[in-house]
Amino acid sequence: MEMTERHVMGLIELLYKMADDQLIIGHRNSEWTGLGPILEEDIAFSSMAQDKIGQSLALFELLHELGEQDPDTVAFTRNAEQFHCCQLVEAPIGEFNFSIVRQYLFDQAEALRFEMLMASVYEPLAMVSRKFRGEIKYHVMHGKTWIKQLAEGNEESHQRMQEALNEVWPLALGIFEEGDYEKEISEVNIFAGEAALKSRWMETVVPFLESCGLNIPQSDAVTGGRHGQHSPYLQPLLDEMCEVFRIDPNAEW
Amino acid sequence: MYGSAYIDPNTKFDGYLAPGEDPAQLAEFEARIAAGDKIEPRDWMPALYRKQLIRMIEQHAHSEIIGSLPEGTWITRAPGFRRKLALMAKVQDEVGHAQLLYNAAETLGKSREDMVNDLLTGKSKYSNVFNYPAVTWADSAVIAWLIDAAAIVNQLANSKGSYGPYSRALDRICAEESFHLKYGHDNVVFLATGTPKQRQMVQEALNRWWEPIMHFFGPPDSASQHTEVLMRWKVKMDTNDNMRQTFLNMYVPKIWDLGLSVPDTELRKNEETGKWEYTEPNWETFKQVINGNGPCNAERLAVRRMAEEKGRWVRRAILKENTEYATPLS
Amino acid sequence: MKINSLDPRIERAQLDSESQQGMNTPMDQFQTYEVFEQKKRGTHHIHVGSVHAPNAELAAVFAKEQYSRRGQCVNIWVAPTTSIYATAYEDADIFETTPSKYHRDPESYKVMDRIQAYKQKQNA
Ligand SMILES: [Fe+2]
Ligand SMILES: [Fe+2]
Repeated sequence: MEMTERHVMGLIELLYKMADDQLIIGHRNSEWTGLGPILEEDIAFSSMAQDKIGQSLALFELLHELGEQDPDTVAFTRNAEQFHCCQLVEAPIGEFNFSIVRQYLFDQAEALRFEMLMASVYEPLAMVSRKFRGEIKYHVMHGKTWIKQLAEGNEESHQRMQEALNEVWPLALGIFEEGDYEKEISEVNIFAGEAALKSRWMETVVPFLESCGLNIPQSDAVTGGRHGQHSPYLQPLLDEMCEVFRIDPNAEW
Repeated sequence: MYGSAYIDPNTKFDGYLAPGEDPAQLAEFEARIAAGDKIEPRDWMPALYRKQLIRMIEQHAHSEIIGSLPEGTWITRAPGFRRKLALMAKVQDEVGHAQLLYNAAETLGKSREDMVNDLLTGKSKYSNVFNYPAVTWADSAVIAWLIDAAAIVNQLANSKGSYGPYSRALDRICAEESFHLKYGHDNVVFLATGTPKQRQMVQEALNRWWEPIMHFFGPPDSASQHTEVLMRWKVKMDTNDNMRQTFLNMYVPKIWDLGLSVPDTELRKNEETGKWEYTEPNWETFKQVINGNGPCNAERLAVRRMAEEKGRWVRRAILKENTEYATPLS
Repeated sequence: MKINSLDPRIERAQLDSESQQGMNTPMDQFQTYEVFEQKKRGTHHIHVGSVHAPNAELAAVFAKEQYSRRGQCVNIWVAPTTSIYATAYEDADIFETTPSKYHRDPESYKVMDRIQAYKQKQNA
């Protein structure tokens, strides 16, 4: 099938939401630097945050090649309503239980998304997906190891993990909020679409979480992020992120 | 970064052999060091050597973890991808340095728990320089360049010391520091060669950090028997003044080269002696800050207490009962 | 006293200089695992340091980032420090080889002279 303008718009939408997700969660997770629960984990968490920022940069570069502005301008000058991230990544880091459950659920979705994208007809995206595979595999391993151990740790940690899961779950479902071009990007095999991703994700995370003795909450997805409707946390995050940039907009930092 | 060669001159010192220690073993120990051999954790060592090393390595470790905080101030605000990634990696390295150094100190018999507790209660010190605030983004640049540069002078010297685990940790640390220094310099150069606003920011930051930098290596060493023994045992590798001179000699020309100035009108190199002359920094201020009265002492410790506290339920949950402990090997 | 911080992360945490005086109890930081890193297939694993961890799985997760976040690595081993038996440095002399160990040294097997002598004798 021939690529039309709508297909390209679908591709751009897909890249934006992925890049924005990675940027914002990377930014959030960087807040743990120096404050982690044990030195060794501090280091591991920081590496993953760096990987996320690096991945978002690579995706913004793909967008730049498609005619969007350069990565720094796009990442550091837009307002909240111009962002396409899901609300999951916007929430403050909270306590370690919240951050680790978010990290796992998000990264498991990323792992599956990039796995699907390795077969994308859009070769630059397929290439980037292959490049990220190792990093994301570690992120998933990290998340699973922690969740299992804390869910099975002691009574307090089990309860905290269940609470965190209850809180994160509806936000995580928001990852799969459909965009405006689902049909277009799947019919030309750019990406099989959010619905396909969601079912693979459910098949992966539900048995794992249940094997850790956690109950899957029955709650509806928190959506809106993909269409520029965000939680109250995003704009202050962006203001903070852009503070130095805005001191002197003409400067090179 | 950030070992400070500063050893409190008030440390009680009554002979360098503790009661019951064998002069023959001491002779063997000293001969090994004189021959350029390293001392390993399970070797015999004088109690004073062990005590001084624990104290020094532990302070160094605390300095790394506390040292992640001033720059951490800017981690959510770093401008642009390049700076953001580099700052994250740099601060992460400092946390990694703390990990390596706590391990090195642990080989001498003090547990990480005890070291962290001594930090939290203020019993054990860390480098004074981290009790100052990073007011603007430019402060983070000056820290990454010049504080790391000063730390490298100290760490390179210490890496040639006699204790194996400390030397090994420092070899790895120094390799990572070269990235910090490059990153810091690059950052300062962009500010110094940038817009008038950027230049102003970096000059002001430099003015703020100059005295803490001059304090960094500690006051001039008093000629004592204590210092002499620690240098013979290769615990202390150089005098505070020598290291300060090395630093000035390497970095003042680079600062001037950027058209930046240092807030000391007396600073100049005496071409005859080859030594730098400068206004002696206020050592009373230095003492005050060490004793808890610096601008950020309370915050730094409160943040560490918070981090330990927030992590406690996590650690408690995964600690298995009846865990056996052994001192790390090396 | 409330801490006013320039760090937005700390400012959000609303710290008080008097609060949170909890101390770490023994074993709070777990036992240690020794870490061995293999840079590429075909080479030996080499000891690079240790990590604090409650079990081997987390030790491996930690070791990967603390010791291999830069540069090449294909495999990591972690082993509890308690499982490692080390010889004593006092006994370092057990490793000293004496000249009487010539039977281990390839240089001590010189047969050419003998072969030459034999050949000469045959030809004579
Ligand atoms: Fe360091
Ligand atoms: Fe450093």
